[in-house]
Amino acid sequence: MTAPSKVVQLPTSDRTPRTPPRIAWAVAAVGVVLGLAIWLIGLPDDVTWFGSTMSDLSLPAGLIVALLFGWIGFSLASARASWRVVDLVVAGVLGVAGGLLFAVWNANYAVISGPLGATPAIALLGGAWLLPGVLGALVIRRPGAAVLVEVVAAVVEGLIGSQWGFTVVWYGLLEGLGAEIVFALLLYRRFGLPTAMLSGAVAGLIIAPVDLVLSYAAQTAGWKLGYVVCLVISGAVLAGVGAWAITRGLARTGALAPLASGRSARRV
Amino acid sequence: MTVISLQRSHFDATAPLARANPVAKLVASTVIAFGLLLSVDVVTAGTALVLELLVLPLAGLTLVALLRRSVVVLLGAVPAGVAAVLFGVDSGATLLDLGPISITEGSLASGVAISLRILAIGLPGIILLSTTDPTDLADGLAQVLRLPSRVTLAALAATRLLGVMAADWRSMSLARRARGLGGDGPVGAVRAAAGQVFALLVLAIRRSTVLATTMESRGFGTDQPRTWARESRLHWVDVVVVLGSVVLIAVAIAAGVAAGTWHLLLT
Repeated sequence: MTAPSKVVQLPTSDRTPRTPPRIAWAVAAVGVVLGLAIWLIGLPDDVTWFGSTMSDLSLPAGLIVALLFGWIGFSLASARASWRVVDLVVAGVLGVAGGLLFAVWNANYAVISGPLGATPAIALLGGAWLLPGVLGALVIRRPGAAVLVEVVAAVVEGLIGSQWGFTVVWYGLLEGLGAEIVFALLLYRRFGLPTAMLSGAVAGLIIAPVDLVLSYAAQTAGWKLGYVVCLVISGAVLAGVGAWAITRGLARTGALAPLASGRSARRV
Repeated sequence: MTVISLQRSHFDATAPLARANPVAKLVASTVIAFGLLLSVDVVTAGTALVLELLVLPLAGLTLVALLRRSVVVLLGAVPAGVAAVLFGVDSGATLLDLGPISITEGSLASGVAISLRILAIGLPGIILLSTTDPTDLADGLAQVLRLPSRVTLAALAATRLLGVMAADWRSMSLARRARGLGGDGPVGAVRAAAGQVFALLVLAIRRSTVLATTMESRGFGTDQPRTWARESRLHWVDVVVVLGSVVLIAVAIAAGVAAGTWHLLLT
């Protein structure tokens, strides 16, 4: 004699954005126009900063402006589902797991990267550092999940100790933002394989210049281009496909049931 | 595989740097890292590294703890430098020529500079983070930097599951052993390890959803303003730590500029 199970109504606010999408597109368009203008017109030649002319910084400055505007616009327009405690704690645990992954990866990095030597193909291993962010966004499906999970992973990595010291935390922030922007642009509505791959690829694209400045500043231009391509591929495959496969596996076990990703998982 | 424990017993908690607020340490190591990121040259990185080694006794780290952590940094610093020496942009007199691989005075200098810089960036990170307890860090982030307390404390709760995860891993290894699994060669070992990692992740997520329910039942996560059991404040030590990092990086950059080796990376 069991009581009839009660149908739980999901809160409808999960799906209602605060701002209509066309405003987001307008804000993003303004950003792109501004970014293009900065790039095409160029920053002044006659102003020098630490010995480099401002005009050298036109492209990165334009990119940053466009990304920033797009980010603000689309996060305004996205479905602003609020974070529950379970989302926060699971994000933390995914971050800790990611930090452990980093620690194991870092400890074995010299051995794994040995055969690749000093070729740009070494970037093919870089995707592993982008995985927790994509995984967090896929599992938790809340705005900022990729950033939070990746940053927690980086902090744990720093606490355990890494060859890059405390800079890993700032790396983590950038990697998380790179993965996040793709989910934001899709208004946090697409969590499939293509989105995951794109997210990993964009994270790779954003982190590659930082790697080149920090670790490989002395390499030739061709080497650097190869590095960027390899890191984008690695981000799409290792981080994108990897995180997607892990999320699908987790959903099958039922462990994600209390989360947004578990609710939409197909019953087997 | 060993899971590294975050237990801190390898440093003197009364040492000046260990007593400083984690937020001050965070700011200090960031200042040094960003200053060093601006240029790759032997003099700036070398000066910073020497100054850091002079400050080291203030951290109260035992030599064993320091060496254990430095090994990881050295593992990263040496290959990056070697890569620059062998494949970097060539300039100056050629020292060795083997087809695509060539060592010149220019690439040798930049290789040494890159290795020194990774060490100089890594050392403050090692000192500061290995003398910081995660709980103090979370307290500092939430109270001093005013990061959202809900997010910070949930992340802290998750880091506390680290020890439990290590125990889970051991139990699973023993269970697999008892069931007679394993011994299928290297490919089988990798597959078994991957399966065990996945099982650990499932276990951790299930545990954290239970933990979240428990925390909510005790009033965590409401909109009410919260109180703190451990107050995190800034003291004069923290001001000295931050100012010290500014002075350190200023001296290092001044040395580089004076020696004429300093030049901004973006050029």
